[in-house]
Amino acid sequence: MEVYITGVGLTKVGRHFDLSLRELAARAAFEALDSARIDKVDAVVVASTLSYREAGQFDLAGHLAGALGLKGAQTLAMEAGDASGLAAVEAACSLIRAGSAERVLVVGVDKLTDYVSSRVYRDLQRLYEAEVQALYDIGHAGVAGLLARLYMERYGVGRDTLSYWPAMDHSHAKHNPYAMLPFAIDPAAVPRALKVAEPLTLLDSFPLGDGAAALVLESEPHGDARAKVVLATSAAGYPSFTMNEDPLAPESVGEVAARLREVTGIAPANVDVIELGDTFTSIGVILAESLGLSKPGRAAVDAMEGRFTLGGDGPVVNPSGGLKARGHPVGATGVYMVGELALQLSGEYPGLRVDGARRGLAVMASGDGSSAHLVLVEGVA
Amino acid sequence: MSMDLSVPETWRVKGPLYRLEAARCKTCGRIHYPPMPACPYCGSRDLERVTLPSEGVLESYSVVYAVPEGSRHKAPVLLGLVRLGRVRVVAEITDADPSELRTGMEVEAVLRRIRSDREAGIIRYGVMFRPKLKGGSRGG
Ligand SMILES: [Zn+2]
Repeated sequence: MEVYITGVGLTKVGRHFDLSLRELAARAAFEALDSARIDKVDAVVVASTLSYREAGQFDLAGHLAGALGLKGAQTLAMEAGDASGLAAVEAACSLIRAGSAERVLVVGVDKLTDYVSSRVYRDLQRLYEAEVQALYDIGHAGVAGLLARLYMERYGVGRDTLSYWPAMDHSHAKHNPYAMLPFAIDPAAVPRALKVAEPLTLLDSFPLGDGAAALVLESEPHGDARAKVVLATSAAGYPSFTMNEDPLAPESVGEVAARLREVTGIAPANVDVIELGDTFTSIGVILAESLGLSKPGRAAVDAMEGRFTLGGDGPVVNPSGGLKARGHPVGATGVYMVGELALQLSGEYPGLRVDGARRGLAVMASGDGSSAHLVLVEGVA
Repeated sequence: MSMDLSVPETWRVKGPLYRLEAARCKTCGRIHYPPMPACPYCGSRDLERVTLPSEGVLESYSVVYAVPEGSRHKAPVLLGLVRLGRVRVVAEITDADPSELRTGMEVEAVLRRIRSDREAGIIRYGVMFRPKLKGGSRGG
């Protein structure tokens, strides 16, 4: 059975001190329902990661569905760390393909700015193996710092070269009205910024922001469909990145990329546009290389040479600005990615537009690769 | 400064955190750390506890400035990716100045305090690594 994306709702990622979790979620949800021109759904799937600790609401899907005037809907809450949003899209597609729902509202929401950042770091540390390794004060960025140094030394990639990855994200984001940081940055400024986890700085890491995004998925296109979901899948990896044969090649990411090729015959490098879950610069280049977009050690160089931007010979990567510049309201991010891709394929995307794009891919691994998630969407025009 | 340290949790993790206990798979022979209920490589549940060597090589390190709540007084935290035989471990580095650290240097395990919760009277210890002194151990 086909799964069509008929509605998209995106809020600007930022510091929404004036909006509660449900008010923020409602903005995205109502926009998605209105753009799909429906007011009832069979199921509501909610993606959120930090809200259970930060906003403190259990049964978030039930509470939110009721608050949105959708009582009676099936409800499901999805938490998959950094990748909750993509996991929610996967769950929603499964409900439709199994015939248990015809219309599903997917809402991703998280607020990261209600508390001081050190508290958010403590919570985000639980993305990593939490029973032993995250008992150390590794913070949210420590593992990404370890991987960055490993990458630089193995491939002889300099700190200045690595800086072209976040600079690429920022140059794309300046066109995106939903981006938290819609401005270009000078790659030379990256190493000089506030240190987060050496060799990484603040300009290598996602900003802490609030955001909500929503989609309406339907089994029928109703003439309003923006795109259709061809594949939504995920794969568990190892409980710690240390268990990968090569820490710079997370097996969970390799597994979802292999599945994409098996199921659709498409390699990641052959799509037109890709949204990558680049929580940190090191994670971005590792993802790009694990997907085969670049040869090992080459992703930052490819970014520097403009391969992943408009007019480059690779897919356009992160036209949204990526996690670095669009932002990463953790549980919501995957929903943003799929919403942005759907608008991109229907020609409605208000940011950096990839003309004639037919296929879009969203890929994200949680934390250090405990699981990887992939969604392939295709235009319906 | 009451935090979220749990007494039972602190007691449970003594094996891996105090003694570097890992698990060896009797089916495929591979060792993993920290120990899981099944072998992450082949899925076998036939595992035995083994102790990792206490000396190894620093494969990577990071100086972490974005330190979580409850440990800000420790900033910056030195974090290491340490290879102990065929297994990699992530742990804090201690007794070292960040400028001394080099990848490839030899390090050795020492037991140190990771965090404490004064109100609840809990101190959590764990293995950390320090640069190994050539020709003998350093004091302290
Ligand atoms: Zn095994």
